[in-house]
This record gives sequence, structure tokens and C-alpha cells, in this order.
Amino acid sequence: MRHWLFRYHAHAHMWRHMLPYEALAIFVIIVFVVAMPTSALRFAERGLFMHSSEPGETTSYTVSFRYMSPEPVGSVDMLFCIDPIPHHECVTPLGLDVSDAVLSSQSGETGFVMDALAPNHIVLSRAPSMISSAGISSYVFDNIVNPLDTGQSFSIRLRSHASTDASGPQIDFGSVKGQVTDGVVLETQVPPMLIFCVAEQVMDQCLGTNENYYTDMGELSSDSTLTAQSQMAVGTNASSGFAITVNGGSMAAGTSVIDSPSTPTESQPGENQFGINLVANNAPTVGSDPEGTWTNAIPTPDYSMANHYKFVPGDVVAYSPNVSLMKKFTVSYIVNSREDLKPGVYSTTMTFIASGRF
Amino acid sequence: MKRLKSFILIALAVVVAGAYAVPAPSAAAQSSSLSIAPKKEYVIEPGDSVDDKLTIRNLDNSADLTLSLRVVDFTFTDDGGTPKLFLEDDAPQTTWSLKPFVTVPKTVTVPKSGSKTLDMSVAFPAGHGAGSYYSAIVYSTSAPDGAGNVGLAASGVTLVFAQVPGKVNENLKLEKFGAYQQATANKEAGYFFMSLLEPQRVAYTLKNNGNVTAAPVGSITLKNMFGKTYEISNVNPSGSLALIGQSRTYTACIKLASQNINFSGDRTSANTCVSAGLWPGYYSADLNLFYGQNGNPTQEIISKASFWYLPWWFLIIVFVVLLLLAYIVWRITQAVRNRSSGSIKLKKRK
Repeated sequence: MRHWLFRYHAHAHMWRHMLPYEALAIFVIIVFVVAMPTSALRFAERGLFMHSSEPGETTSYTVSFRYMSPEPVGSVDMLFCIDPIPHHECVTPLGLDVSDAVLSSQSGETGFVMDALAPNHIVLSRAPSMISSAGISSYVFDNIVNPLDTGQSFSIRLRSHASTDASGPQIDFGSVKGQVTDGVVLETQVPPMLIFCVAEQVMDQCLGTNENYYTDMGELSSDSTLTAQSQMAVGTNASSGFAITVNGGSMAAGTSVIDSPSTPTESQPGENQFGINLVANNAPTVGSDPEGTWTNAIPTPDYSMANHYKFVPGDVVAYSPNVSLMKKFTVSYIVNSREDLKPGVYSTTMTFIASGRF
Repeated sequence: MKRLKSFILIALAVVVAGAYAVPAPSAAAQSSSLSIAPKKEYVIEPGDSVDDKLTIRNLDNSADLTLSLRVVDFTFTDDGGTPKLFLEDDAPQTTWSLKPFVTVPKTVTVPKSGSKTLDMSVAFPAGHGAGSYYSAIVYSTSAPDGAGNVGLAASGVTLVFAQVPGKVNENLKLEKFGAYQQATANKEAGYFFMSLLEPQRVAYTLKNNGNVTAAPVGSITLKNMFGKTYEISNVNPSGSLALIGQSRTYTACIKLASQNINFSGDRTSANTCVSAGLWPGYYSADLNLFYGQNGNPTQEIISKASFWYLPWWFLIIVFVVLLLLAYIVWRITQAVRNRSSGSIKLKKRK
């Protein structure tokens, strides 16, 4: 043991002379003081105001932000890309052109002149000087041609540099976001549409139905379960998908209402119960599973349990989170009744509402 | 007199019998197959109006489609994009209601296999405050007529969003970020930290505390423990909105596959999540989001998350390797012990 301690001491003693405390202090200064300016900060309160957001229109942009680092700034780089992330590849927004842009006014940190390096690239430059304005600096550029694509936003990647030509290490950085809108309707190449049909039986693609919108379930009995089924088909090319809700009341005769379970429940003959689901069941035998090749349009979990039924008005019974080709759903209805159920003709109207998603 | 009475009675009986014998006119065949625009979006300056068209198609090739139209308010159902419609006639008007500013026709009849284009308009008075306004146009088929217990009716909905430009209060707060399992028919959607199946989606949940809708853009960078990165360059490809007050979950595919499909005669692009070929192990994710409307500050949200992907086959391999290592260590220990006990015995002999 003592032998090891002697060896360690001899080793450490040698390094003590090779790396004196002064060298260590210099290393710490380099790390914490010299290296500090390279840890760039984000511009604060960044914003973009497009004086017109019409696609393809020539307009003025006001870019504003607050400088954060107390460093001399000689240039500000402005790169127009689809993606705001600085280290990602820059794809120029379709139709955008800043080649003829003019810096018409500036406030806050001033003294810049403008140079358009490319149709999507502007550099503001001045003699390097310390940031003197604590507030927001704004720069107005005229003669910018707006992008054409209303379907996606674009961004301006901002960077400040000590150099006058936007080279060398960056001081502050950040992006501002913009989007063109045509003021009337935002539409993709194919107008989004939502197709929907409901009946006792519907054809594929909703090209027709059996034109029967009523089902007679028969006579209520405490010994057996009455069943019925209807169909609905739905599809959309909207990228947000669709949702179908069920609306209406439980079966009722005047003020006598048959209860409907608020959670998926098995059929219980002899109890008052009205429920639905959207899958094939064998207790009792009714319904069938959804038909269609696309798997993204599905019944919601509560309405997709075989032999379990539920009915809550306003519930979403089926949905797709994105584009879905036509899919056919079969809705199964069950009714059970107690022996002491008040006599009457029990009926209801189920309204299925298909909507787009936002 | 008796004969007259008899005659009247017989005549009445004939009339009544005739009335019952003649079959009731059957209800005209009615379509319930409609095609509508699911969403409309506008940017309208105060004092301006927008005239637009609503195109409704009747896909049924044998019956006309009669619809009644009305405008209702809506909000969100959950953290997804499903609207919750306020269908009651006495539903209170929401603060973001577009109802007072929208004009649509009351009814329309679309011939079989045909379409109708309706005029609609949205107009804001001068001086109207900046912000987001939204309501829904509900197209309803008439209530069924017939005899039975269960009647069926179909309705379609167009969501209408209007933006009045100006200074607004935008405030999104990140609530969750991480790997995400999409809902299936038997399972709710949700975040997870460890998965036996290959993760295909990353998600983030934003709470909209502002007074306008928001649609963030940005990217997510995934990195595995060996340094390999996977870039999700568009974290909101559908431009999905977080409604006022909503906690909205946005999901993004780690790898997206696009395919062109034919939808009702038109070509359209459909995106699906596919396997990105992730290796088992630990993953870190960096989120970088931007939001902000025209003329308002662009705001940024940055966050980090992590998750484990540990498939069964990988766990079995790790288990087998650990067993092997344990066995090797045990054998070495045994060998060392045997050797030491052998040398002790030798020393004792000496």
C-alpha cells in the first residue's frame, strides 16, 4: 500500500511542475471568458409584418427584433427559407424574390445598408459598432415579391455578425415566421372534400342507398334483445381527416325513456338498455366490422368492442386523423326492456354528423 | 226518410272505406349522400367582406338531396382536431363565434348525381377587433318519415375559420413532448417512455392560452445513443390548429411516406407513418417550434425528451448475453478459486 502511495506522489509531483497553477488559470479564462461570445443568444421579440399577404404580390416586409448580445455588430444576415431551423437545408419559398428589395427605413439599431445576394438572401451591413439600442430594432424592405404557396409558412433566418459581410461567427440568431394567404380561400391543388352517406344500406362510394331511413325493431320483450343495423360510408381527401358523431336521444315513448349506458356494456335482456356499436357482434348476432382497405379510419375505442354497447349523444363514433379513402361502417343497435317498462311506441332518430377536423 | 238515412250511411261507409283502401302516397325518394368542403379559411380586414361559394354534390344517382343549412358554434372535443358542435337552438354564443358575420342560404335541393354552388359571405364591420373567429355550417337531411323505431338522418359540416389581422395575444405553452402511440380500435392514444414496438411517431401537446387559434411550425430532431439522427422537418404538415383554450396534441411521423391516391376522381396525396428502421436503445428528441401571426412577434418553444425502444428480440438477446457473461464470470471465479486452493495445498505440502 505504501508503495502505491509513493508511486502516486511521484507521478503527481511531476505533473505539478509541468502544469503550474498559472497555466490552469489561463485555461479557465480561455474557457469562460474568451469562449463566451461564441455561445450566441437568440434575438428577442422577433416579428415579421407583411404589408400584404397576397401570394405573388410585391409588397413591403417589416422585420423587427431586439439584439441581445452586447457585442459590436457589423452585419445582419437574412435568409428566406421554408424551414426556420438554422442548421437545416434552406429551401427557397416558391415564388419569393428579394432581388429588387430596398431597405426603405430602419429604426433602433441603424446605419445599415442593404445588399441582396440572392433571390432569398439579404445582408445588412455597416461599420462594426456596439449595440446602442436597448429596444426593438425594425427594418422595412420594399419591393419583395411574396411566395406563392398558401399551404405552408416560410421563415426568415436571422443572424448577426461582427464582420461586415455576414461571415465569421454569429452573435445572435433567430427566425421569424410568415405565411401568404389569398384573402379569400386557402385551398390545395385539389379542393378538399368530405363524402358521407347514411341509410339502412349504403353502396360503396356513396353512389346510392336503399333509401330506407327507418327500421322497425319489433315488439319489446323482457326475454329477448331487439336488434337493428344501419350503414354509413365516409371518406375525405382533407389532410386533417374526418370525425363522425352520433346525435339524438335514447329510445323514448313520451316521457318514458329507455336508459343508455355511458360506458361499453354487454347486452342485458330484462333490463332497460339502448346502445350501439360499430363492429360485428355475436351476443346478440348483429352488425359487421368496418369495410374498406384504409386502416386509418376507425371506430373509436368505446364503440369498437364486440358485444359491448354504449350510447352517449354527441360522442365521436368513428374518425380518421388524415386522408382516408371511402370506408363503410355498420352501426348495430340493441334494445332491452324490463317487464315493468311503461307500454308505448318507443322510437328515436339517430343523426350522424360527419365533419372535417381542424 | 229511412231510405235517405240508409243512403247517407252507405255513402259515408264507401268514402271511409275508399280512403283507407287507397294506398298513402309514398314519401318521395330522398338522398342522404353528400359531398361538401370540410373546411374554409379566410383572412379578412375589419370593414371588409369575402364572397365565396359552397359546392354541394349529391352522389346518389337515383334521388334528389334536400338539405337545410344553419350556422352553429363549436369548440374542441379533446386534444385532437374533432369539433364539438353546439347544436341546441338555445346554445349560448361563444366569444369566438363567426355566426353574426356569416351569411348562408337556408335550404338547397341538389338533383341526383348533380351539384349546386351556393353563395356565402363573411363580413366584419369596420373597427372590429383582431383575432380568430370560427363557427360551423351544418347541412342536414330532413327527418325521416315512415314507421319504425329507429330513424336515421345524416348531416355534414363545414368548419369556417376567419382571421382578423392585427395585434393579438398569442400564448402557447408546451405541456408534453415525447414518443407517441396513435390510437387503435382497441387502445387509446398516448405518450410512452418505453416501447416494445418500434415508435413511429413523436408528439407534443400545446395549451393555447391566447385569444387566437395557433398553428405552430418547426422541427424535431431524434438522436439514438450511437449518434445517428432522424430529422422531422415539418411537425405540423396539415397546418392543424390549437383552438382557443385547447390543449392540442400534434403528432409527427418519424418517417413519412407519401402516396398519390385517387379520391372521387381526383388525385390527392396521402401521408402515412412508416417504419424508420430505428435501432433498439435510448433516444433523445429535440423540439424546436415557432408560431406567430403576421405582424406579431414570432415566438419559439424549445424542449427535450427521451424514450427507450426495447423490442422483445433485443431483450432476449440482452438476457442471453447477460447469462453468458454471468456463466463466464462464474467459470473464471471457479477457476481462480481452484487455482488458489491448489497453491495453498501445495504450500501446505511444502
